[in-house]
Amino acid sequence: MYNVLQLFIKYGAHILFVVLEFLCFYLIINYNQDQKLIFINSSNLYSAKLSQQQARISQFANLRKQNDSLLHENANLIENLISIEYASSKIPAADSSLSQYRLIPAQVCNSTIHLRNNHFTLCKGSREGVRADMGVISSHLGVVGIVRNVSENFAHVISLLHSQSKLSCSIKNRAGHGTLVWNDMDPLHMSLESIPKHEKIAAGDTVITSGYSTMFPRGILVGKIESYKVKPGSNSYEIKVKLFNDLTNIRYAYVIQNRFGEEQNKLEKEVTNE
Amino acid sequence: MNSRAIPTNVIRIILIFIAQVLIFKQITFSLGGFASIHCLIYPMAILLMPIKANRSLLMVISLLFGLALDMFYDSPGVHAATLVLTAYIRPLVIAFLEPFDGYNIDDVPTLRQMGPAWFVSYVSIILLLHIFVYFSIEAFSFVYFFEIFLNTIFSFIFSFLTVLILVFIFRTKY
Repeated sequence: MYNVLQLFIKYGAHILFVVLEFLCFYLIINYNQDQKLIFINSSNLYSAKLSQQQARISQFANLRKQNDSLLHENANLIENLISIEYASSKIPAADSSLSQYRLIPAQVCNSTIHLRNNHFTLCKGSREGVRADMGVISSHLGVVGIVRNVSENFAHVISLLHSQSKLSCSIKNRAGHGTLVWNDMDPLHMSLESIPKHEKIAAGDTVITSGYSTMFPRGILVGKIESYKVKPGSNSYEIKVKLFNDLTNIRYAYVIQNRFGEEQNKLEKEVTNE
Repeated sequence: MNSRAIPTNVIRIILIFIAQVLIFKQITFSLGGFASIHCLIYPMAILLMPIKANRSLLMVISLLFGLALDMFYDSPGVHAATLVLTAYIRPLVIAFLEPFDGYNIDDVPTLRQMGPAWFVSYVSIILLLHIFVYFSIEAFSFVYFFEIFLNTIFSFIFSFLTVLILVFIFRTKY
């Protein structure tokens, strides 16, 4: 017994070292691989609480960046509001107290992006005033699609990324207008066709809606010209447009209600029937 | 042993723990995609204990301190094992660096008391060993020797500079 005690007194530190290392390696081997068995870290309330506090503080430090992005978005919104206002100022003065266009905000409940013909579903329907053939833009201001079908509480929207979608577009500060179609399966790019080749365009120009339909007012942003070329023998440009909107990631959208849309359509139909 | 050694060391351990977990844990980045740099300053909590401190006591403190760190690093045992080893080899390094006239019973291994040459060699030897062992245990296999080596070198440089800066800022007597 005395010998054992003496051994401990003499080599206590070394024995303790071996024991502690055994303990540590036992922990490493047992708790590091099996996530199920980890109780020493994530179940620990104190470390979780402290980390939470730390996350809150770092979130606070990020507020400036978030503010900046919100401000940017606001500026965009106001800018576009002005352009919409400008477009609607051409309406006869009798109704000038009411603007021609009204926006109905709606949440996107369902969307597809990877198909050849993509659709959205909005969580607002005829009860809130959504009708078929209304235009839809997103919260970052950019065209999303056109309403096709409406039920009482939902609206079915044909996305821009649809093989049949055709949107009349023009280029900001340039003459001429063309049709925006979706040819390749790339959800970030579309092509603008039938802009005559005598018009001058440049890469980086902004593509906006032309306003030649009842769905969208003139001046809604669509995208930016990335590249263009003229096909030999063709009379018009083939323009690749990069969309401002990331259609793969849309949470909120606005339906554009045109108060005089029906009137315009009716008049145009009368002319064709004659 | 000086009577002020115990409260000083307790406060130092707590401060170093908080600094490591809240600040230096965030400073983890990869250098050009081949080496990940960790900033490990917490061995200083053990390194700055009095020279004649009890080895077994230091190892027990290291185990508890390492386990507390592991809760935050989500790696039960890795830091603890490394720190216990560091506490174990500390007396050997101290004996290796012993000056001609030996140590006093009250000596504390600080920059102020032992001088820059002694302090830098003392800290660099133990810190390098600590970081090397840490990455080895983390990888748990010497198949990744090259990665361990790179990580050790870069993390050591970074941690050592940080430690030196901290030591020059907080010139403690004990």
